[in-house]
Amino acid sequence: MPTGTGAGALRRRLPGRTVPYLYIAPFFVVFGVFGLFPIVYTGWVSLHEWNPIGTHAWLGLRNYTDLMADPRFWNATVNTFSIWIISTVPQLAVALVLAAVLNGPMLRLRTGFRMAVLVPNITSVVAVGIIFTQLFGRDFGLVNWLFDTVGLDRVDWPAGRLSSHLAIASMVMWRWTGYNALIYLAAMQSIPRSLYEVAELDGAGRVRQFLHITVPQLRPTIIFTVIVSTIGGLQVFAEPLVFGGQAGTDGGQSRQFQTLTLFLYEQGFRDLDFGYASAIAWALFVMILVLSVVNYRLSRRISTG
Amino acid sequence: MRSSRTAARFTVLLAATALVTSCGGEDDGATSGDLAGESPEPGTTLSIWTFGATGLEEQMEAWAADRGVELEFKTGELDPHHEQLLTALVSGSVPDVAVIEIGYSATFKASPDSFVDLRDHGADELADDYLDWRWQNGVAADGTVIGLPTDVGGMALAYRTDLFQAAGLPTEPEQVAALWPSWDEFLAVAEQYTADTGQAFLDDSGVLFETVAKQGSEVFYDTDGEPIYDTNPQVERAWEVATAAARAGVTADLAAFSPEWNTGMAQGKYAVQLAPAWMLNYIQGQAPDTAGRWNVTTLPEGGGNWGGSQLAIPANAEHPDLAYDLITTVLSPESQLEVFQASGNFPSTPSLYGTPEMREFTSEFFSGAPLGQIYTASVEALEPVVEGEDQRLILREFGNGVDRVEKGDEEPGEAWASTLDAIALEID
Repeated sequence: MPTGTGAGALRRRLPGRTVPYLYIAPFFVVFGVFGLFPIVYTGWVSLHEWNPIGTHAWLGLRNYTDLMADPRFWNATVNTFSIWIISTVPQLAVALVLAAVLNGPMLRLRTGFRMAVLVPNITSVVAVGIIFTQLFGRDFGLVNWLFDTVGLDRVDWPAGRLSSHLAIASMVMWRWTGYNALIYLAAMQSIPRSLYEVAELDGAGRVRQFLHITVPQLRPTIIFTVIVSTIGGLQVFAEPLVFGGQAGTDGGQSRQFQTLTLFLYEQGFRDLDFGYASAIAWALFVMILVLSVVNYRLSRRISTG
Repeated sequence: MRSSRTAARFTVLLAATALVTSCGGEDDGATSGDLAGESPEPGTTLSIWTFGATGLEEQMEAWAADRGVELEFKTGELDPHHEQLLTALVSGSVPDVAVIEIGYSATFKASPDSFVDLRDHGADELADDYLDWRWQNGVAADGTVIGLPTDVGGMALAYRTDLFQAAGLPTEPEQVAALWPSWDEFLAVAEQYTADTGQAFLDDSGVLFETVAKQGSEVFYDTDGEPIYDTNPQVERAWEVATAAARAGVTADLAAFSPEWNTGMAQGKYAVQLAPAWMLNYIQGQAPDTAGRWNVTTLPEGGGNWGGSQLAIPANAEHPDLAYDLITTVLSPESQLEVFQASGNFPSTPSLYGTPEMREFTSEFFSGAPLGQIYTASVEALEPVVEGEDQRLILREFGNGVDRVEKGDEEPGEAWASTLDAIALEID
């Protein structure tokens, strides 16, 4: 901080065009430090064999060619997309219905319910992970106990591919359904009431109104939540890590629930191969970029068409 | 959306700045404490990172009280603890003392520059106090001594006498040991037990693999440092024993240290626990209601080692002299004897082995078993395992491979091939 100089004096001494740049500088400085620099530096690291406390040797693109030929990478990609789809599709559908209920005129204690649906989202993800892992425990879990009482076979949830994905997806759903419901609710409240009144005059019932007015009017919002869920879903990490317990970073004995971020963490922090981990990070970055562009194109077509 | 994200980033930056400045403030106040031989400045705090298995906490507190120093422990689970230590070594914000488990020692020894060379403090003179191979666990290839040895994880086998009796098996240690001169007979007993009782005999087949494999001297690496995990008969033998146990259904399939394993141990879901000395303390803590229902005997086909750690001082530690004073004090033979008597962690200082205190040490929890004698014999007989840089990754993949057989994902032959493929991907 300059001492003994008033702001006015400072401004007079700076050239006229500098001040506006100073006003917008904080964003660019912060973005540069926490956004751009890490991305570029990760790219630099990914071109090396990079042991964080050892050697840094130039490899060129070898980490990337290795990655493309690495079955563990494709396994993690499949797992990530599988968990993403299993968690996102039901989650958004439920959120939509939940929002419609919260928006309904019949509901008492509306504010209370609206706050309540957000509570899972502000719960620590690790706490959610630990509780759900216990619920889905093989020997002493509540879910298997319920299965037992209704006469179904017990399931070793972490051991199987689909069963582990379902368990992890349920954690993601638990945390994010209410959040998406609130976003839908906000959008629903900006739908003109006149549309519903006209529909009612024409004799449309509640379900028909929901399907033919609410959902079409929410299209841009739905696209937004899909994009956000995509970005979040491709980075799902803490849930499978906690779910895996002792061997969390492996994602199970057959890597059946190892996601891309877990694979990245395993390669970087357990196997000390930061170069390879950085290559995975870049691959993930590109995937998210491509999906975001596809989403954006789609959403533009839908909202204009 | 964008503006709120920017605001969030800005808040992070502010918080980070505040953090940096506050850390800087602390540094200024505390750096003058490292005076060897003199009493440290009041209020000096030594930070210690551990995964909570050394049994040394009380000794450390006693030392701290004596020197007028505060201790700040940070305890994590095994893997997260070592991962955090690694990132700390990169960033430089390190503890004064770090516990390094034997499985990780090769990983950290590969970067001796990250640690204080304890020879600079005169550690060479102490080498003769410790078992040579345990001392070598802390010596890097260039001769740097990065850590001093804590306990030895000499192996024995703890079993539930009540469950054995109910299954019509003998309960006296000598008779039990006589049941299984080799692992094949051990498996036969296990199958008979499971057939008779419908219960598991062992907790997990992964631990069985590790135990049998480490009964050899060369396991994953030979003495020239070449990897031999894919051709070593000892590894193949361990694989056969472990996968046979997995396929026979004699294990409870409870991964060691998982919450289910703790519960299974307390509820008597299995009858036999492969037990290094430190495990006995764990059993007493997790299954206090089973006091007097255990006994301890020897493994088939000799001893072995599981666990043990080194205490190391990272290169950027704030108080290296005090830290060295601490680790040499708590790892001295006298101190290790006290630890053994309090928690059962077996000393790495051979001068204690013949002493009456060790010979006469028994445990009521384990039906009066002469633990001192059992583990002394085990440690004196064991062949130290040849270390190699990627031993931890190799062991982990074998563990997963055995687990795939146990969970029914793959046949043993397939799992062997997929394990070797996975290792090749990890260590190429």
